[in-house]
Amino acid sequence: MDRDVISPIAGAQSGTAPQEAEDALWYKDAVIYQLHIKAFFDSNDDGFGDFRGLTSKLDYVKDLGVNTVWLLPFYPSPLRDDGYDVSDYHNVHPQYGTRTDFRQFVREAHRRGLRVITELIVNHTSEQHPWFQAARRAPPDSPKRDYYVWSDTDQKYKGTRIIFTDTEPSNWTWDPVAKAYFWHRFFGHQPDLNFDNPKVLRAVFRAMRFWLDMGVDGFRLDAIPYLVEREGTSNENLPETHAVIREIRSLLDAHYKNRLLLAEANQWPEDVREYFGNADECHMAYHFPLMPRMYMAIAQEDAHPVVEIMQQTPDIPDSCQWAIFLRNHDELTLEMVTSRERDYMYKMYAADPRARINLGIRRRLAPLMENDTDRIKLMNSLLLSMPGSPIIYYGDEIGMGDNIFLGDRNGVRTPMQWSPDRNAGFSRADPQRLYLPPIMDPVYGYEAVNVESQQRDASSLLHWMKRMLAVRKTSRAFGRGKLTFLKAGNRKILAYLREYGDEVILCVANVGRSAQPVELQLERFKGRVPVELLGRTAFPPIGELPYLLTLPAHGFYWFRLATDVDVPRWHEEHLAPEDLPVLVLFDGWSSFFRDRVVPWRIRMAEKTGTQLETQVLPRYIEKQRWYAAKGEPIKRARFADHALWQLDNHTWLIALVEVEGAAERATYLMPLALAWEDGEEERLRGLAPVTIAKVRQQANVGVLAEAFADEAFCRAVVAAIGTGKEVATAHGKLRFTPTKAFAELAGPDYARLPASRPLAQSSNTIVMLGERLFWKGYRRLRPGENPELEVGRFLTEAVRFPNCVPVAGAIEYRAADGTPTTIGILQAFVANQGDGWAYTLDYVDRFLEDHRTATEPPPDDIHGGYLALAHTLGQRTGELHRALATRTGDPAFDPEDLTAEDVEEWKRRTREEAQATLALLEERSAALAEPARSEARALLERSAQVLAHIESFAAPSEKMRKIRYHGDYHLGQVLLANNDFLIIDFEGEPARPLEERRRKSSPLRDVAGMLRSFNYARWAALKRAAQTDEELEKLAPLARVWEDAARNAFLAAYEESTRATGLYGSAADARRLVELFELEKALYELRYEINNRPDWVRIPLAGISSIVPQARQ
Amino acid sequence: MENVDMFLEPVRAFLTQIGAFLPRLALAVAVLIGGWLVAKVARFAVARSLRAINFPVLTERAGIDGFLQQGGLRSDTTAIFAALVYWLVVLAALVIAFNSVGLTYITDLLGKVVLFVPKVIVALLIVTFGAYFARFVANAVIAYCKNVGIQDAALLGSMAQYAIMAFVVLIALDQVDVGGEIVRESFLVMLAGVVFALALAFGLGGKDWAAERLERWWPRDKDRERDR
Repeated sequence: MDRDVISPIAGAQSGTAPQEAEDALWYKDAVIYQLHIKAFFDSNDDGFGDFRGLTSKLDYVKDLGVNTVWLLPFYPSPLRDDGYDVSDYHNVHPQYGTRTDFRQFVREAHRRGLRVITELIVNHTSEQHPWFQAARRAPPDSPKRDYYVWSDTDQKYKGTRIIFTDTEPSNWTWDPVAKAYFWHRFFGHQPDLNFDNPKVLRAVFRAMRFWLDMGVDGFRLDAIPYLVEREGTSNENLPETHAVIREIRSLLDAHYKNRLLLAEANQWPEDVREYFGNADECHMAYHFPLMPRMYMAIAQEDAHPVVEIMQQTPDIPDSCQWAIFLRNHDELTLEMVTSRERDYMYKMYAADPRARINLGIRRRLAPLMENDTDRIKLMNSLLLSMPGSPIIYYGDEIGMGDNIFLGDRNGVRTPMQWSPDRNAGFSRADPQRLYLPPIMDPVYGYEAVNVESQQRDASSLLHWMKRMLAVRKTSRAFGRGKLTFLKAGNRKILAYLREYGDEVILCVANVGRSAQPVELQLERFKGRVPVELLGRTAFPPIGELPYLLTLPAHGFYWFRLATDVDVPRWHEEHLAPEDLPVLVLFDGWSSFFRDRVVPWRIRMAEKTGTQLETQVLPRYIEKQRWYAAKGEPIKRARFADHALWQLDNHTWLIALVEVEGAAERATYLMPLALAWEDGEEERLRGLAPVTIAKVRQQANVGVLAEAFADEAFCRAVVAAIGTGKEVATAHGKLRFTPTKAFAELAGPDYARLPASRPLAQSSNTIVMLGERLFWKGYRRLRPGENPELEVGRFLTEAVRFPNCVPVAGAIEYRAADGTPTTIGILQAFVANQGDGWAYTLDYVDRFLEDHRTATEPPPDDIHGGYLALAHTLGQRTGELHRALATRTGDPAFDPEDLTAEDVEEWKRRTREEAQATLALLEERSAALAEPARSEARALLERSAQVLAHIESFAAPSEKMRKIRYHGDYHLGQVLLANNDFLIIDFEGEPARPLEERRRKSSPLRDVAGMLRSFNYARWAALKRAAQTDEELEKLAPLARVWEDAARNAFLAAYEESTRATGLYGSAADARRLVELFELEKALYELRYEINNRPDWVRIPLAGISSIVPQARQ
Repeated sequence: MENVDMFLEPVRAFLTQIGAFLPRLALAVAVLIGGWLVAKVARFAVARSLRAINFPVLTERAGIDGFLQQGGLRSDTTAIFAALVYWLVVLAALVIAFNSVGLTYITDLLGKVVLFVPKVIVALLIVTFGAYFARFVANAVIAYCKNVGIQDAALLGSMAQYAIMAFVVLIALDQVDVGGEIVRESFLVMLAGVVFALALAFGLGGKDWAAERLERWWPRDKDRERDR
């Protein structure tokens, strides 16, 4: 069961707070898609997008992964300011459809779980609004005239700035009908409403209620800082304005649930903070200054602008949220930067003066980034990971371009590019009739950039965006987490943490245009494993030292700092040397042994020995991968036996350490070496990773370390095996024995082979010698001959099976009573491409990844290459069993006939195990997370069927054989080498006693094990590839098809190669028995997963349910 | 009758003597057997306790065990100590036994032997600790010389070791009263020889250097002084 652990799908934490409170805060996890009705899709071919068109494209919006749609104004309007000049608050512009169409749209959106935000533009109306028409005609000081702000002179409110500097000379415009000036903050055709008039507010309330009753989930409050005017002020952010907002909020809260107010206040953060009030004004507000600083960071290749603005950002009430964006329907506003920074931005992003408008740049994201995908992705990654709810402007998800030759800001409001067809697939109207021409240039034009082609292209920006949004959904920390910037010495690196409860997301971005390194101080998270969120790859755990990362040009990483994920298998834990305890020696190795020192030092030796056994060794062993009882503290690691092995000028202590403290007493092998600083620097360096303690003897300083890392020791072992040496221990002896193949495998110069660094595995340590030999030291020692040695020797010496790793020799410990214990095995080194499990998992994962967003089913022969391998695997398995069934006269190996009692015995055992497993499942099912819990329930309800199914296995009709078999056969036990397989690790299931592992049985157990392994690979790959439930649903059938194909190929090849061997009678008999063994194995897996990895119980649960047939209704 | 009496008198006397002697003999035999048993126990106890305090490690480190093994002995120093104690007890028992049967001459003879055994034990202890000390000093000298960078560290070390060993052996011999005057004298001769050899070596080797010093301190050439 030595398999990779992959993080569970999605943040498993289900909401603990009541659902209602969660719903009220929906906007904190929102990802908003901003769009124009007119620009999205035209359903009636009039050249303008409309509500019906939008409704028909809702699936696209949903599929993108956003959960909120923000509609730009769609009210009746003369459209002189893109709809921000409303002429009727209670209707839909006829070009966009009817109120019925709108209602239908809201219903459809809600059905897909999408919320709808619309515009509430109440600072001003169009001059064509009936209120204004009435006001200009009404006599001065009449109630109707009072709807707007009038003056006889244009000199009032002199302190107010003009926003549209390019077009408006003054905030006052003379109305010849009214014979007075009217006040307007924006265009001259947009008179400002007079919020000092309570009737205006009431009229606004009516308009709000009208839309809220239609199901709208929130309003964007347009131009909100300018509602009220007072002489002598800048007429922005006035307290009177906030009073109006509070009134609007209280109306909303009094009558509606879970609705949202989003303030558009283009102000500095400290001013915007006011719009949240004490959580009694707006729920959300834009963070305007962040946006230009993200651009600036990339332009200047310096993360500082972003850090600086976020540090200036005040805290906001818990229930409030920022809205952040990269681009929107307006110009990229540069009001919130200093004039020098503005010049810089113009120079970098708007070299063409035509691209500039007002105080900003009228371009889309992709052209601003010069269509550099890396930079576009980097900007999006910042957007999606900065605190706040991100807003994605329509078209930016596919990298649409702009047209700066269109007037005003229309260049970024062109039709959505759906396909390379006429009018970008947006409309079937005559191209002349379109409200704006689509983008047609060769780089960004709709023939190059459109939804259809990007949906087909698995590497497109659209797919990448979908993936990012899916990943963002896996953690709430993105929306709700606290932001902390990390000090990255490298100024080009932006590193920050998002923390929400236990969840910690580490985001690192390189704003530089070349690869950059960074060292991050993450001591606070020592021991956590960073898991890269896009690929779910586990990185080495965080230790004491600064965490080193290297990022490609404009690269970024999102890491989850996980506590529930295993460190990568290849990672070696290096204790920082200064942490190591110091042992004071006075007499070399003798210092640890009370009966090896001169009389007056007995006490000292006792003390040193105790220190080693109770402090130093336990501390070291507890951290080792091979320590079986993980997490259980060790009281004492006692030397059960030891040998001082002296060779040339080195002496090693080969110790058999008995560990006390864990529930089960266990003996471990620990060869130790001492190395001194004087003259042995190189040796010392080699030992550093496995150093147990620092030692000092008088003025001589050195280390006590594991001898596995001592090249001289490894060579000495090989040499000792070659010469068949014996070394006496305190109570027994160590025997080094070669096999017949030693000379051939080790070569003549074996004593000079370079030794690799030791590799710690789950229960042994491995050293490679010169790509020729492979020395495996067993750590957990059990009395008796290890089956790996026994079977390996048999396959090497007696039957010469070519597809296993030949054995060159072994090290055995013989206790005083003669009991042998295998402590090491020397095998030939075989170059390989990794084990079958990793290969298969990668293969299936890659296959699923490729088809994650594909629309067509894969071709039938897609798995051809893999199936050829599965076929080979089946064949090799068959050959292995044939080799093991060879009769050599060795009673340990000669095949025996299978009796009916054996089958009954197996059935009985499976039945007992099933009962035990189901009882365990019953007991623990409540603790399982959904959906595993309901699946467990379903299986428990079928308990009787499971038992009946076991009962129904009939004894085989023909004669079968019992032989020695692999015992723990799965994909992890085969090595892939040159399109062939090598079968390794004949140890059997390490948890079972040796005697049981050496028992003969049907080789079909191995077949069942491999079939279960295919099943595991299917689910593990699925778990890794699918990020959302929809993806899971889509990919599950593909994975299933793969598993079926692999199983069949494997079984067919196995049957072919074992047909006439007499191992089993008929193929039907064999398949039945395989099924029984598969069930037994799945039951074992279920027990294992319940006890060790509850996240994984779904795999064996599904396995058992698929083996046990469904009851017929 | 008288004849018979006369005839029997010596017999009676003899018998009386035998009657008086037999209990003493029985006592002597009993003492012997008891002594032998005690000796065995003592040998065992001594060996055991010596081993318990790691005495064999000491003798091994001192090089005595190795020396003995080179000499063909199969047992180690600890066993020798145990054997000495064994014989001490056995001899003591013999002394008592012979004394009880009145063999005073043998008793005197054995008494001397009995008194000699402890001296051997002490001498052996002196050699053991002395040898260990010699090795220790040798190691210290070697380590020191190596650290300060003097060449021939090993040579100096073993010189120190052998010098100490020479003293130790002499002390041990003195302890067991072997050799007496001859040993002492020959030691003096040896020491004198070494000192003479050193004096000669340094005298010849440092002749020029000494001459130079002398020249500087008391210049022979008075002319130069006159020139001043």
